[in-house]
Amino acid sequence: MRKLYAKYEILSAYLDGELSAGEAKELEEKIEISKDLHEKLDELKRIKQLTVSSVKRLPEAPYFETRLSAGLNQKGGFYERFRKWIPAVSFSALAVVLMVFLKFNPGVIDRLVEEQKSNLAGFYQENLRPLFYASDLSNEDVFNFAFSKQLPLDKSNGQYLKLGYDQGGKEFFEIKTSGNNVPVNNLAKFTATLKLNNAQKRQVDSILESYAGDIQTQVLVNDKNTVAINPNLWNYNKAIVADIMSFARDANREEFNKIVPAGYFAYDNPDVRTIVNKVKDNKDNNYIFFTPDTIFSEHYDFDKEKFKEEMAKAKEEMRKGMEEANKSFREMKINLKLDSSFNRLKNDPSWNKNFKVFIDSNICRVHMSDISIPDIQFPDFDSISAQVEEALRNIPQIIIDMPGGKGQKSYSFKYEFSDSAGTPVRVQIPNVDSILKSIGVFGGDSLMYNDKTDHFLPDSMASMFKMFDDSLMHFNKDEFKNEMKQLQKEMERMREEMKRLRIEIHQDTLQREGDDNSVEI
Amino acid sequence: MNTKNTKKDLQNAQILNLDDDFSLVKRFIDGDESAFAVLVQRHKEKIRNIIYLTMNNSNSVDDIAQDVFLTVYRNLNNFRFESQFTTWLYRITVNKCKDYMRKIKIRNIFTPIKEAEGKTEDIITPESNDISAIVHKAIGKLPEKLRVPLLLKDIEGMSYQEIAETVQCEIGTVKSRIFRAREGLKDILKPYEEELML
Repeated sequence: MRKLYAKYEILSAYLDGELSAGEAKELEEKIEISKDLHEKLDELKRIKQLTVSSVKRLPEAPYFETRLSAGLNQKGGFYERFRKWIPAVSFSALAVVLMVFLKFNPGVIDRLVEEQKSNLAGFYQENLRPLFYASDLSNEDVFNFAFSKQLPLDKSNGQYLKLGYDQGGKEFFEIKTSGNNVPVNNLAKFTATLKLNNAQKRQVDSILESYAGDIQTQVLVNDKNTVAINPNLWNYNKAIVADIMSFARDANREEFNKIVPAGYFAYDNPDVRTIVNKVKDNKDNNYIFFTPDTIFSEHYDFDKEKFKEEMAKAKEEMRKGMEEANKSFREMKINLKLDSSFNRLKNDPSWNKNFKVFIDSNICRVHMSDISIPDIQFPDFDSISAQVEEALRNIPQIIIDMPGGKGQKSYSFKYEFSDSAGTPVRVQIPNVDSILKSIGVFGGDSLMYNDKTDHFLPDSMASMFKMFDDSLMHFNKDEFKNEMKQLQKEMERMREEMKRLRIEIHQDTLQREGDDNSVEI
Repeated sequence: MNTKNTKKDLQNAQILNLDDDFSLVKRFIDGDESAFAVLVQRHKEKIRNIIYLTMNNSNSVDDIAQDVFLTVYRNLNNFRFESQFTTWLYRITVNKCKDYMRKIKIRNIFTPIKEAEGKTEDIITPESNDISAIVHKAIGKLPEKLRVPLLLKDIEGMSYQEIAETVQCEIGTVKSRIFRAREGLKDILKPYEEELML
């Protein structure tokens, strides 16, 4: 192909008269005997002819010299020669001026950066409000925060904040939208396991409530999609655990020792009080701000009292049924969205200085390499965190054996402890099947009843149990017995009622029949 | 008689010599500004046509030509007489055209999209029965690298050597580019084979 190309190139040069006499003669001889070369030469000739004939020459420009002369007179000066160098000279001069200026004012760039930073910080600090105030932080949430280090950010879409420690032991926190693996009703299980009485339960609630208000101010949000997190949250986490564990030990030492592993040491109440007070009094309000533009750390004082007043006022207005107030309160629910705006932050080089940030479609994790957690001295609390987790795992789960065949009316419940074979409890249950059947509580569709065996099918029983409130699952033996007795009494009463009703209907029917007969006569 | 004839020949030779580009340049360097006017008069049309062919339109021909002669005027004192004056002049011309095209490209980057969309390319339509126009547009579609040597050869009648010096490349490259330009033109004009008898 290349050879053929070169052969035709020579033809083109020949056509242009660019070959020497010898080369031309040689080529002419070849053309004479080659049809292909002959045809190609003709083709090239036609193209050359077309090119020559197609391009028309421009008409003359009559005033060309006059214009040029004017141009020469105008542009011949120094300025004109200098003009093309103006941009380069300007930039160079500017650079020199800047260098000199910065030489004598070295802090100006830093001041400018700080000013910009402060402007940016000011912008994102506007209207910050506690997130959890709006998202109803329950005692269960506070309990889960203490023991699972998770706080719900948006309950409607499962978004939550999780605290953690990386392999190097440094703190990180992450905002996730899936994978929340905290079991439900942890608090209820905890109190049930410790066999706390109502007064003690109220005490636990009161402890948790006392932290809820403070935790609120540790995570702030605003309408600019900003989330500000106070690193003191870690200390709150430790303080709550210390407080709860200390209370649990004092409330029921026997049950407490059953669930905590050997060697666990719960701090005495006075020590815990000291820790808690230190955590609550901490004034190091260096929040970490997640914004759509960047992540940065900045001091911020949140006026908790003022906010409380505002909220009290808003609630009061709501109570009065003012629609406008309703609206404003609703608007305080702010959800953080891990959308593309967060994703684009990956390219921010300033992060590497203070944070290591990992962002995925449903997670945003911030490792805080240079951000120090306010230094509250916990008496070697970190070392027992593993024990606390172990203790939590020891909170029993309930296993329920379903009755297998006809006539078997007892259910077996068992506590499962990791360090024991379990504590089986047998409970006699009245004939629930027949009761349920007779009163039709669940309707025909929800339960499958086998008439021949006079029994609900086991599978359907399982589905029935799903319908029970979760509170049944964290079992309290005495409470359950009382419940069942209560249920039995209710059933008896209902049976009596039904019997009475049937008799009344029967009598009523007989009376009507008698009336009808009299009319016929 | 003989003496008279010799004198006349000498005078003619001197006039011929004076009219030569080199002589005009020398005169200009020696301070004779009118020599420049003669140079302009002599080459302006060729320069305008080269610009026209290179740019493929007549819009800015005179502006660029003015710029070429202004540059020549400013730099003529530095002319080293190592190549023909025309070679130097054509090289300046082609370079000015390239500068101008570069500026247009940069300007188009900053042109609002809507405005840029408004500029439609010349489209060769089969309905067009003007063969010259069809071929002219087809030449315009060739890349600048191929178009300029082709036109300098076929329209301006320059030799390969002159073209090589003007566009600053090897003679072999010029030969190759002119052939490729012709092949490219043949391909572009393929839809009109019959009309053009290709």
